[in-house]
Amino acid sequence: MQIKVKCNCGEGQCPEWAIVELQGIVESQPSIGNQLQGLEIGRLCCSSSSSSQVSYTFTVGYHELSGSKMALKKPLLVLKKKKAADGDNSVLNSSEVELQVIGVIRHKILFKNRPKALISKPQVKDKKIAQ
Amino acid sequence: MERKREKEINGEDAAGEEEEEEEAWGGGADSVLKLTAEGSSISIRYHSLFGSHDDLLLLEVDDELLPDVLHHRVVVRGQPDEEAVLCTPSATYAMKFVGTSNSVFLIPPGKSTPLIANDVMTDSNGNSIDTPDVVASVFKVAPGNIELVHAAPRLDKLNLLLTKRPYRLDEDLEDDLQYDRDLYTYKGLLEQIQASEEELRDGLKALSAVEIDGFLRIVDSKSMNLVLKVILNNSVLHEWPLNALEEDNVAVVMESDGFPQRIVLHCLETFGSRVEGNNLWSLDEKKVCLQFAKEALDGGKMKMESFMEKWMRSIPSVMHAELRMLEGEVLYEKIGVETWVRAFSVAALPSTPAERFAALFQERPKWEWKDLEPYIRDLRVPGLSLEGLLIKHTRRTQPSADVEPIFSAR
Repeated sequence: MQIKVKCNCGEGQCPEWAIVELQGIVESQPSIGNQLQGLEIGRLCCSSSSSSQVSYTFTVGYHELSGSKMALKKPLLVLKKKKAADGDNSVLNSSEVELQVIGVIRHKILFKNRPKALISKPQVKDKKIAQ
Repeated sequence: MERKREKEINGEDAAGEEEEEEEAWGGGADSVLKLTAEGSSISIRYHSLFGSHDDLLLLEVDDELLPDVLHHRVVVRGQPDEEAVLCTPSATYAMKFVGTSNSVFLIPPGKSTPLIANDVMTDSNGNSIDTPDVVASVFKVAPGNIELVHAAPRLDKLNLLLTKRPYRLDEDLEDDLQYDRDLYTYKGLLEQIQASEEELRDGLKALSAVEIDGFLRIVDSKSMNLVLKVILNNSVLHEWPLNALEEDNVAVVMESDGFPQRIVLHCLETFGSRVEGNNLWSLDEKKVCLQFAKEALDGGKMKMESFMEKWMRSIPSVMHAELRMLEGEVLYEKIGVETWVRAFSVAALPSTPAERFAALFQERPKWEWKDLEPYIRDLRVPGLSLEGLLIKHTRRTQPSADVEPIFSAR
């Protein structure tokens, strides 16, 4: 069985996706349940910017994370499983699925340190971070 | 509105609406990537369609491999019970899923849309007071990504498939109702074999496969022997030089003897090589002699003397057989004062190192280097030398510096 990897973005034109990565997991307050859609996770702020490095803070509930933007050593491709649009269904099950490149990720903003607790209470947020 | 967006993101729309689809992600990756002004900030939220989205995968790809991927030259191959590999036109990569315990928030591209209704965004004159908050939306938390590891092609199955039904001179395709049973076309093999096309073609070459009526076949050795012998007999009758056989001439004479042209040509390809620029073939002494040695040993192990006698008698008088030609094809065994010889071909052994060594140590528990070397020198593992393979898979004993080292199983 063969699954073709396709890309319809055109010559080097894959749209760039972004990654914000932090240690541990973000938990929502129990009252939110699983309805996370639309909910704010936190506020990403550019804290300093020099030619070599851009630093960020990410404020999640009462926690503040510090991190920086880094270029990935190897790019990540975002693939999406799709039903093949070939219309060529003569070959049994082989051409049913294809993987489509829908984006590329070259940078991520990485928060690799433990969060710092904010002493002054920020505006009411319904999130907190759990390690 | 919301529903329309969902439909587009799910990609149910016909191809050709890619731009629209991209627009519909509404993730705002750009606003994250371009957030470089000190003090500026954006809100990070869960996308209105946030979920596990198992149909999205992250594949880590080397920059040098990227063009192959973007130009539709890579394919994932494997049966449901096999570990998938990714193949470029020339190489095979194992696909390893590497999980992470970090939270990896994936933010798609597209114009970010402020999610909060702009209720308080206008003043009494209807002008906007504040620019709406810039939002980037997390579509999925990625549990990890797939890494590619350069790997050897998995060609053992090729041997298995092609030996199911080798071609015989006396077979008649028309009479068989299921004429294509256990036969494979090149396209069919691509579906079955976890290797790049280049590696598959090399594999077919190594097995001396030939395309007959659209199917790739290996020719059964008795049929091959017969064709070779008749060519050699004809060369004596017609005084053909073995280093300059005229292809057309050979084909015509052989056809009148009842041998299909394709098989005759295949025999020349297998035991000889084309003389440059001409329609001439030169038979390879080693390959021909080896074939006759294998035939001599067909019936099982023989005493060295009887084998040599039989072998020497079978080869063409203008050729010279040497024991060195049989490396990796026969094993010698000392029983009392006599040496016995029998066929043991490296080609019939597994191609992955662990399985190869297991098969070898099952054959004999201890190997001397000179015996072992012909059976492992073809092993190729990216990033590991033959020396490294020996350290990994064998135990080396050498009681003193002046004796040959012995290799046994670890």
